Amino acid sequence: MIAVLGLVLGVVAGLLVRPEIPAAVEPYLPIAVVAALDAVFGGLRAMLDGIFDDKVFVVSFLSNVVVAALIVFLGDKLGVGAQLSTGVVVVLGIRIFSNAAAIRRHVFRA
Amino acid sequence: MSDQDRTPENPLRRELPEEVPAAPADPQEPQEGGQEQERLSGRQRLVKGLWPPRASRAQLIVAVLLFGLGFGLAVQVASNSDSDSALRGARQEDLVRILDELGDRSQRLGDEKQGLEKQQQELENSSDQAEEARRQTVEKERQLGILAGTVAAQGPGITMTIEDTKGTVRADMLLDAIQELRAAGAEAIQVNGVRVVANTYLTDSGKSVSVDGNKINAPYRFKVIGKPQDLEPALNIPGGVVQTLEKEQATVTVERSDKIVVDALRAAKQPDYARSSSQ
Repeated sequence: MIAVLGLVLGVVAGLLVRPEIPAAVEPYLPIAVVAALDAVFGGLRAMLDGIFDDKVFVVSFLSNVVVAALIVFLGDKLGVGAQLSTGVVVVLGIRIFSNAAAIRRHVFRA
Repeated sequence: MSDQDRTPENPLRRELPEEVPAAPADPQEPQEGGQEQERLSGRQRLVKGLWPPRASRAQLIVAVLLFGLGFGLAVQVASNSDSDSALRGARQEDLVRILDELGDRSQRLGDEKQGLEKQQQELENSSDQAEEARRQTVEKERQLGILAGTVAAQGPGITMTIEDTKGTVRADMLLDAIQELRAAGAEAIQVNGVRVVANTYLTDSGKSVSVDGNKINAPYRFKVIGKPQDLEPALNIPGGVVQTLEKEQATVTVERSDKIVVDALRAAKQPDYARSSSQ
């Protein structure tokens, strides 16, 4: 419950504060958000499976974000930034879908 | 898994042979029930995690991370939906492409502008030319109107009066006089209020003469516009018009004048078949 409250508070704060995104972070924020979403879905699935561990969640969340940003950064340096970020989004999207399917099986038993 | 479950049970079952038909169902049931319990517990765990709220370490850590996620999500969505900063999130190569497209577009529009300006200039020129052509047409119409007899004319010229008391003047004599005047450069002629033009005809009509079907009586008064110094000698040459008429006992007087007004008009006739081919 507190976790959900944290998410809602984050959204509200982001909408109210409207901070200027630093130019250096700008290209990585969308990819980082998608990676974090993947970690959150994975954590939700683990919780439903009964194997949730907060340490694992923290590590996977942070490493997902960092690795995604790193890939985009590397792609930008190599000149294939657009293609690589598309690839990252596709892979993360597939993972989110499979996690969502597992969650759905738990919640709706279907 | 089922094999391992069955092997310890099989010896037991063999001691009770009459229950054999029911045996295969037995090991399934606890398994089925176990799966049910697990699914239920997954759901129950979700419900338990949601309510009642507990401030456990795991919950707090996850809350902090989710706060970050929500914050980033909201910021990204907000910055993406700002129309004025649509270019802020674009990558370098996209920006270069957009710049190229804008350059191309502005060049295309510049070309178009140039073409339109040229067209405008041409139209202005052609309207000037049309004005000039119209002016020339009016001028020409007036000149042709004098020849065709549709407009009045004035200028230097002569007046010739033929007194014919005996009635001896015939149409051919008047025609000779007109031909002589034309040959001498007469530009507009009228006889007793009838304009003489290219297709004028003269016929004898009893004691008098008809010009274009209008009967005219003596004295015949010619008003002629042209150069007086040319017209008068042309009439007076020996054996010319004047002498011929005087031989018929008519009296001819020729007067020069600086201002002759030829105001007899003739209706412009629209040709039925002939059309101008100078289009």
